[in-house]
This record gives sequence, C-alpha cells and structure tokens, in this order.
Amino acid sequence: MKDVAAAPARSKGFFSSLAPRGRTVFFALTAVAVCLLFAFPVFWLVLTSLRPGTGVYYVHRGTEFTIDNFHDVLSQEIVIKALFNSFMISTLATLLSLGVTATSGYMLSRFKGPIPNTWFSLIYIFRCVPYVAWVLPLYFVTQRLNIFDSYWGLVLPHVAVHICFFSWIMKGFFDGIDPSMEYAAMIDGCSRWGAFWRVAMPAAIPGLTALAILCWLYTWNEFLFALILTAHETPILTVVMAQFVHELGMEWHLMSATAVIALGPALIVTLFGQRYVIRGLRI
Amino acid sequence: MADIVLSNVHKVYGHVVAVKDINLDIKDREFVVLVGPSGCGKSTTLRMIAGLEEISGGTIAIGGRVVNHLQPKDRDIAMVFQNYALYQHMSVRDNLAFGLRNRRVPPAEIAAAVSRAARILSIEALLDRRPYQLSGGQQQRVALGRCIVRNPKVFLFDEPLSNLDAQLRAQMRLELKELRLRVPTTSIFVTHDQTEAMTLGDRIVVMKDGFVQQVGTPLELYRRPANRFVASFIGSPSMNFLTVNVTADGDHFSLACRELRFRLPTGRFPDLGSRVGRSVCVGVRPQHIRLGAPANEKHIAFKGTVMVTEQLGDEQLLAVRLGDSEIRIAGVDPDLTLPTGSQIEAAVATDNLHFFDELGETH
Repeated sequence: MKDVAAAPARSKGFFSSLAPRGRTVFFALTAVAVCLLFAFPVFWLVLTSLRPGTGVYYVHRGTEFTIDNFHDVLSQEIVIKALFNSFMISTLATLLSLGVTATSGYMLSRFKGPIPNTWFSLIYIFRCVPYVAWVLPLYFVTQRLNIFDSYWGLVLPHVAVHICFFSWIMKGFFDGIDPSMEYAAMIDGCSRWGAFWRVAMPAAIPGLTALAILCWLYTWNEFLFALILTAHETPILTVVMAQFVHELGMEWHLMSATAVIALGPALIVTLFGQRYVIRGLRI
Repeated sequence: MADIVLSNVHKVYGHVVAVKDINLDIKDREFVVLVGPSGCGKSTTLRMIAGLEEISGGTIAIGGRVVNHLQPKDRDIAMVFQNYALYQHMSVRDNLAFGLRNRRVPPAEIAAAVSRAARILSIEALLDRRPYQLSGGQQQRVALGRCIVRNPKVFLFDEPLSNLDAQLRAQMRLELKELRLRVPTTSIFVTHDQTEAMTLGDRIVVMKDGFVQQVGTPLELYRRPANRFVASFIGSPSMNFLTVNVTADGDHFSLACRELRFRLPTGRFPDLGSRVGRSVCVGVRPQHIRLGAPANEKHIAFKGTVMVTEQLGDEQLLAVRLGDSEIRIAGVDPDLTLPTGSQIEAAVATDNLHFFDELGETH
C-alpha cells in the first residue's frame, strides 16, 4: 500500500501542482517571453532604421524619427541591383534544388541497392564537412570555371549545399507517402517515371512547398558564400548590407534600413508559406 | 481467355527464399484465394503476377502469354491494395478515369465506363469528392471501381478487406461475391483470414514459409486437409490435435496418449497400418465433438475437465482439459451450465478423425 500511495506523489511535478488557470497563465507568459525574445531584435532593427544617423546610439532616448534612411538606401544603385540579384539567385537556386532534391529524395526513399547506398553515403559525408570548409575550394572552382562573380557561380554552390541538406528531408516526405499509390499508377498504365511525376510528386506538394520556402530563405539570408564567391559584378544584398561598415565608420542606420527592406520579401514568403511549412514538415 | 499459369515460380531476396517453386493453374474466370500467415509469400506471389516484383525463376503466363518481362501496365491487370492506394490529389471520378486516360480512351467512352462502374458499386454520389472525404468502405468501393472500369483480364486483390472493421468486412465480402456475378473475371485474392478464403474462393491455395501446402476447393481443404498446418489453418475454432502412439492389437489399432486409449478397427483405417509403432497426430474439429456418451461403436468416447466456457448466444465453446492436453469443443447447447472443473463425457465419430504425420508440411 505504501508504494501505491507514494507513486502519485513522486509523479507530481511543477506543472501538475499548478491549478488549471495557473497553468494557462504560466504557458501564456512563457509564450509571450519567447515571442519577445525573438521579436525584440527585429523591433530594435526597425527602430534603428527610423532614426537619423546621429541618433542610432541613443535609440532608447531619442524621439526624432525619419524615413530618410530608406530614401538614401533605395537611391543607391548597388542596393537595387543587390535586391534584384538576391531575388534571382534565391529563386533560381530554389527551382534547381527542388528538381534535384525531389528526385534524389525519391530515389533514397524508394530504391535499394549500391547506387542509392553510394549516393546516401556521399551526401552524408558532404554533410559532415563544416560549411565554412567548402568556401575556399569553391572559390578556386568558380574561378577555374569562369563563373566567379556570376549568377551560376553562386547558384550552383547553393544547389550543392541544398542537395546535401534537403535530400534527407525530401526522403522523409516520400517515406510518408504510401508507395502502393505509385504501384497502382504503374498498373493503371504509368511507367515508373510517370508514377513519380503524376502521383508521387502531387502527393508531395506540401513537402515540396515547405522545402521551397526553406531553400529560398536559406539562399536569401546566406552571407558567407555571397561574400567569397561574388565581387563587384554581382552584388548580393547580405554583402551590400555588411559594407555599410567601412573604414570611415559604421552606418548602422543605413544598414538597418537595408535589413528592413530585405526583411520584406522574406516576410512575405514566410507568411505565404508557413501553412505549408507546418503541414509539410508534419508529413 | 485469361487463365493464369505459374510454373516453378520462385523468388529469392539475397539468401532468403520468399517463394519456392510454385506451380498453379488458374482457369479463366476462376476466383482463387492465396491464404496463409504473415510472411508465407502470398503477397510476394501476387506482386510477381502483377509485375511489381521481379521473379527469380520460373514463368508466369496470363492468357497464354508469358509476362515475366512485361511492365505492370502491359499485363492487362488491375489490383486492389490493402490501404486502397487511391490518388489523394484527384477526385473519385479522376481516380476511376486515370487508367483509361493513360490508355488514351476517348473521353465519351471514359465517361460511360466511369458511370457504369459507379452504378455497379453505388458510388455515383461520391464522384466529385476527394478520397480523404470518404469512409473506409467507400474508399474500398472506389478502389474496386478503379479496377472494373478498365475491364482488365485479371483482378488482383492484396488483402483488400483487412483495414475494415469486422461488420464492414462481412458486408464487403458479400458485395465482392455480388460483384463477381456482375463482372466475372479471373481473380486472385490474397488474405490471411481463413473465413474470407473459405467464403470467397472457388479454390484456395494455402501457403506457409514460401511453399504451397495444399490447393483445393474450400470443402476439400476443410474435409481433407493435406497436413497438420492446413488442418489447423482452415476452420474456426482451429482443429484439435493429440499426439498418440499407434500399436497393432489384433483386428484393431490401439492409439494411446498417456491415460487416453482409443481402439480403431483396422479394416476402416488402412492408412494407419504403415504408422504402427510411430507417433501420429490425430486431429478432430471442435464442431465434430458431441457431449454425452457415444451413440454407437463408430464413435470413440473420452472424459475431460471443463476449463473455460465461452458463450456465443447460439452456442457455447468449451476448453476442456484432456490429460495434459487442452481441446476445444464447439456447438455446445448455450443453455447448458458447465462450471469450471466439472467433468464431462464427449464422443466423436471415427469418420471425423484426421491423421497426420508429425512433420507432414511441405518444406
């Protein structure tokens, strides 16, 4: 009897000791605290972007606000060019990555044998290589291939990284799709490729959308490859942003304004896609 | 004509033999059920016929044409899967029409075929819904519709009823039988449920460990099981088995198992002659045991202790301790009160005894 009585007492933790109402309040406060933790830097960034150059160090004290920073930034040709380049490179890298990772993930999910096993080992090994270690070899490769400081010079390395990182996720998506649907299609008159294209791919749309958003955001926000693999010909937004720190000083207000502009497309993509990301990552 | 002939078909995965030398001749419009426990090779056999699994040896012919190297789409077959395998991103109508569109059938013909299939299966009202909006039974009907709409040579069923609840399964069994009358087509049905096998099949193929144990009509399998495995697999509750030693005793055989001893006339059981001095497994179906004293000399009697009773309403099932064995008795009067531990006397007609060698299975 003693043991039976002791068991519930042992399992009674902090949460179960709270009243139901107290528990709700506790979770609400925690949620608010977590949101603040993430939202505060963004809030501070927006605030800084609206302050004049002289007031950025006294954001918390000043009351003077201006949109001149945005005007200044958008009047610079390099920023406009960088916005366009970043958009194009993110979109191209996403499209190419999806094409490759979808087929690669499908192969890993559905086929067994030496080729899938070798492919699996290969991307596993590349995934183990520290991200930063890729940059220097890629610099020489892009120089050699004459694609340094061009769209392809940045798109192809991004696709290579995406293949290693996202083939696994794509495999997971296809693992969640019943293969008998493809068998049914093969009996219904499709080839293996037809079954993949007409049955497996439409079923994987939530996953593909989630992956597209992740790929796009990843490339849009990426800094290291953009810094090393591009120069004056192909300015990229994240690099242009960093260049507001120069030998004459740090133009935090302009950097913040550029960052807020860069937030826009990312925010739109995230808001549009969050439904798919959640659904996609759930399958 | 769409007969199916399997000749020495076998399948090997690495060093594991999944299916070993199957020979089977399925006639045109025959409904054959492959039945056996999990891992017996029945689904693999079906998938080899469908072309979803390569065969390691032997030949498969459908309608007189060897299909070993044909793609599934070129075999003129249709298949119903365990989990329905409906295309989730298409409406029911598109699911039904998918196969016909792939074969470039004119749209007017597709529409006519779809509405005919929908009418046969009473799914006309569901045509514009998506599969996820349907119940399990409705999805199964759509899966059947997808088969009959194409009018193929062969229907293949891979445990199509096992995801349904017991009541719906019984209903779908009846619907399948009705469908057979309306659309008579050569069919192979895979199941692990002996009731489905018995009720649906013209012939049943019992498989175990990749080997065919017996092929026969439901009654042949029930009345003359080839070995102990078939005897135990077919029939519910399962057949009772007792291992006995056979000795010759004048014009009788004496069968002994510890304190139990039966005598059988040699004239009526000539098969036992070759088993004298050996252990033999005696099988008797629970339905063939009657409570009470033996009616005549063609019955053998025994006494046992009631362990458990199961009331089914129209009958009772008894678990009875017989020496160190336990046997089941079915068809007992439901109004009879038999407390645990009570002694009963029971009898079984000697015609209903089955004799098996201890290792009688095909290996």
